[in-house]
Amino acid sequence: MSIAPSSSTGGWRARLSEMFPFDWELLRIAGAEPIPHHLKRWWFALGGTVMYLFVIQVVTGIALTFYYVPTPEEAYASVGTITTGVRFGWFIRSLHHWGSHFMIVAAILHMLRVYFTGAYRHPRQLNWMIGACLLVVTMLFGFTGYSLVYEQLSYWGATVAANIAEAMPLIGPTAATFLRGGLEVGSNTLTRFYVLHIGLLPTVALVLIGLHILLIRLHGVTELEDEGQPVPEEKRFFRFWPDHATTELIVGFVLMYLLTIMALIWPAGLGPAADPTHTPEHIKPEWYFYFNYRLLKIVSLKVSVVATLVAGLAFFGWPFIDGWLIKRKWGRELPLIIGVLAFIGFLVLTVWESMT
Amino acid sequence: MADDETAVGEPGAASESPLTRRSWLGIAAFWGGLAVGYGTLAWQYLAFLLPARTKPRTRLLFAGSLSDYPVGGAREVHDLEGNEVLIRRTEDNLKAFSSRCPHLGCRVHWEYEQGSREFFCPCHGGVFDADGNPLAGPPAQGNQHMEEVKLVIDEASQTVYLEVRDVPHQERA
Amino acid sequence: MSLSAKQFTVGFLGLLFLAALLIVAFQESKQHRVEEKLDPVVTATNRGCVDCHAKDSPALVMQWEESAHARYGVGCVDCHLAEPEDIDGWQHEGAWISALVTPLDCARCHTLEYDQFKGSHHAKAGEILASLDNVLAEKAAGLPDNIADAVNGCWQCHGTIIRFERDEQGEVLRTGKENRPVIDPDTWPNSGMGRLNPDGSKGSCHACHSRHTFEAKLSRSPENCGKCHMGPDHPQIEVYNESKHGIAFYASRDDMALDKEGDWVLGRDYSAAPTCATCHISSYMTPQGEVITNSHDVGERISWTLRPVISTKLNMVVYDDGYKEDYPDGKELPAIGDTVETNEKVVEDFELVTKTVPRTVASVVTWEQRRDSMKAGCLNCHNDTYVDNFYVQFDSLVELYNEKFARPAQQWMDMLTADGVLNPDAPFEHEVQWVFWELWHHEGRRARHGASMMGPDYTHWHGMYEVSKHYYTEFLPAIIEAAESQSAALGEKYRGLVEEHLAQPEHTWMQGLSPEEAERLRQMYQQRYGEAGG
Repeated sequence: MSIAPSSSTGGWRARLSEMFPFDWELLRIAGAEPIPHHLKRWWFALGGTVMYLFVIQVVTGIALTFYYVPTPEEAYASVGTITTGVRFGWFIRSLHHWGSHFMIVAAILHMLRVYFTGAYRHPRQLNWMIGACLLVVTMLFGFTGYSLVYEQLSYWGATVAANIAEAMPLIGPTAATFLRGGLEVGSNTLTRFYVLHIGLLPTVALVLIGLHILLIRLHGVTELEDEGQPVPEEKRFFRFWPDHATTELIVGFVLMYLLTIMALIWPAGLGPAADPTHTPEHIKPEWYFYFNYRLLKIVSLKVSVVATLVAGLAFFGWPFIDGWLIKRKWGRELPLIIGVLAFIGFLVLTVWESMT
Repeated sequence: MADDETAVGEPGAASESPLTRRSWLGIAAFWGGLAVGYGTLAWQYLAFLLPARTKPRTRLLFAGSLSDYPVGGAREVHDLEGNEVLIRRTEDNLKAFSSRCPHLGCRVHWEYEQGSREFFCPCHGGVFDADGNPLAGPPAQGNQHMEEVKLVIDEASQTVYLEVRDVPHQERA
Repeated sequence: MSLSAKQFTVGFLGLLFLAALLIVAFQESKQHRVEEKLDPVVTATNRGCVDCHAKDSPALVMQWEESAHARYGVGCVDCHLAEPEDIDGWQHEGAWISALVTPLDCARCHTLEYDQFKGSHHAKAGEILASLDNVLAEKAAGLPDNIADAVNGCWQCHGTIIRFERDEQGEVLRTGKENRPVIDPDTWPNSGMGRLNPDGSKGSCHACHSRHTFEAKLSRSPENCGKCHMGPDHPQIEVYNESKHGIAFYASRDDMALDKEGDWVLGRDYSAAPTCATCHISSYMTPQGEVITNSHDVGERISWTLRPVISTKLNMVVYDDGYKEDYPDGKELPAIGDTVETNEKVVEDFELVTKTVPRTVASVVTWEQRRDSMKAGCLNCHNDTYVDNFYVQFDSLVELYNEKFARPAQQWMDMLTADGVLNPDAPFEHEVQWVFWELWHHEGRRARHGASMMGPDYTHWHGMYEVSKHYYTEFLPAIIEAAESQSAALGEKYRGLVEEHLAQPEHTWMQGLSPEEAERLRQMYQQRYGEAGG
């Protein structure tokens, strides 16, 4: 379908298009992707928000890799050098730090939006499961990334996490040894976390994100039911480019602005350096693990690990559970109630842990 | 739907309508905003990747006390790259010059005689005054001045320092 | 939102983001990057020294490389260069040097500090060589051919005359192919504060500014002074360590900016505590916001002399050549412009002699002025009532010591001398001379130093308690014993005198407390400790 001129008549333009025979028309068509008009609602931009934040993390993360040294002896000092010795080091690091928190919040909000708009239902079950994996990957990003700083809480948080992993039925000890790279948290652990954080997890994330977006394109974005006023046919869709893209760019700028403000007012700091001989009085994981940590303190280790695993599996396979519930004619209200209760439970445990 | 939005199925509809001033401004604001915002961020990002200079470019080298420079006298010192510098004292001031003749690079001497405080270059007879200005010979014809080197004098201790370019260890003479 | 509205929003947000990034850039500009220290510069003149001595004495060269000297290219020859006429000079590997670097050598650059130092007590520290201290070291604790106590003890703090070995003709012995002068091993190594150098200068800069790093951090630390200013006869470092000043220092040592380059000003660069240097040498802020710069004349801010038997306030006469003399308060002060025949100790032919040198008075500094310049430093942390009252307390302790013990003790000794019991040429013949010596030279000084720097235990238990105990239980009996050694009659005379002395009001307590005082004492012990205690 290309109407590019041939080299015998078009000169250099023709030669270029022979070197790279891509049909640019495809891009324009892709850009004219019809977006359901309810996406003009800003809270439908949450998915794009997560992806944008992922890009921020990759870009700032690559910069940080130029100066970070992943050995127990030098890790902490290299983070310190970045924070105080490199131009804009404190800023790039703070963007990365706050970006990680924002990304997890955005992922959770996006997940809630998808859940409460029922966008996981057939035929979109696969995309929900990919999304669930992405949420776990994001939390692992946060966990491994924080451990790289090698502060006291980094070291001991990793130790506790490995101990919890060890309590998993059957695969526990293997998982813990895999995480630690041995029987104890040490330089092997740091290396592993580094590889996970800058190599394995980004690759997995990219693949999953690619699949996630591909599935969205293939399925189209779910239209909302029961919207109220009927929408005229010609207004039911609008263009990805430039309309929706501009919306996303606005969201992007707002995020950059917020992140910059956070970086200016609460720049990322450094706690005391990791000391394997001295356990701090209070070890706490990052806030997105509070719910799990709290659960641990209420019930026994085994119970909480099993409960977490069961809940995780339910979360992962939710479209099928939901489908089963609907078949049972328990209405569409039950998923809503379950969702609200689960989220409230998560919040309660998180806030409870944050207060102690 | 706003007037500049197209219904789907009309590929490029908006791009075929004539560019209004408003739409031109909008496009300019759009790209301008992106450029200004992300451009600045890109500059800071690049600055991050370039290690900052943590050592000053010049440093002071001890060159004796004022008492080591009697009026009319001069001393030779060297900078870190091995270049010779003449520090000369007249009744008026203490100044330092590279001893390299600006004509063809021969070594200039400080020749102090009553009333004629001059630098002399033996190769082709170049003559400079006490401030390095050419007076006679090839340097005068080409209006070539002796290169002055900065001196820092600490009044309290009466010590003289030469301000020289700091070069890494390997490049020092 | 229409497309163009969104486009303008992007434009607006871009500007907003730019504004935020400009604040980021501003914050970045405020970051203090620690400047890397410049590396050492070895100039052509010093290259030969460094290349060889880096193998012979590597740590020495490494110390120099860390120094500020090295950063400016000041190296071996710059300090060790000897004058052509220097007796201790020798031609070593192409340079005429002396191993001994004297204050005159340092003064080539550090002229101001030398001018301040050369008139100070520190520079005169070596002039005690003819004192009683020396007699104790060289005679009491020495052999005719071995005065190692003086060599290793007194001289190492006070300094000594640098001497050379001689050949049969009396010329300086020289050895080796470089004709190196052979120094008298009793006199070198020596970095005593008042070392008497062959070039006529007095003192040793590296007594405080240890070589070859010459770190400011070391010189400013109290331990530095404590090498000499310690011990039973002048426990300044012990008093300081006991005092709140010392406690504050050791607790906040890291906040003291001890290694700050350039000047070091109390009230501007540090505030946690004073060190010895702070009060006696260093710069401080005045209430008017000015900086009083440091002075290497350590006596400038001293108003009492706590050294002698009887302490006096000290005025200072400064002569036109920088020579300084302390005038005890009471001794008539000359006027500015007067010519005074000053007695100066100098080294001639490697012996300490006193010369009379006429000098013109340039200025007179009273003890009040000296005290004011000390008080101005105190005002950085304390208010003036506090400071003035401290001096009232301090003064009254010195006066107590003077009036109750020092003056009477001196009078007793003078009496014994007048009666022919004590021989001025035999200063430690009788027990009473030892007791008297320690009374004023040891515990008497400890009491005064304790009060001078807020060390209560030194003031009392190590100080006045011991003064009073020794006065009553050892000194007075020893007076009688000394008198008796001459004749029984003289002994009787002094026994009577002592009895009379003890009848005076301030001494009657020896006979017992008054009934009221005794009763009060008994009741206090009963209340506190019950029947069993006390």
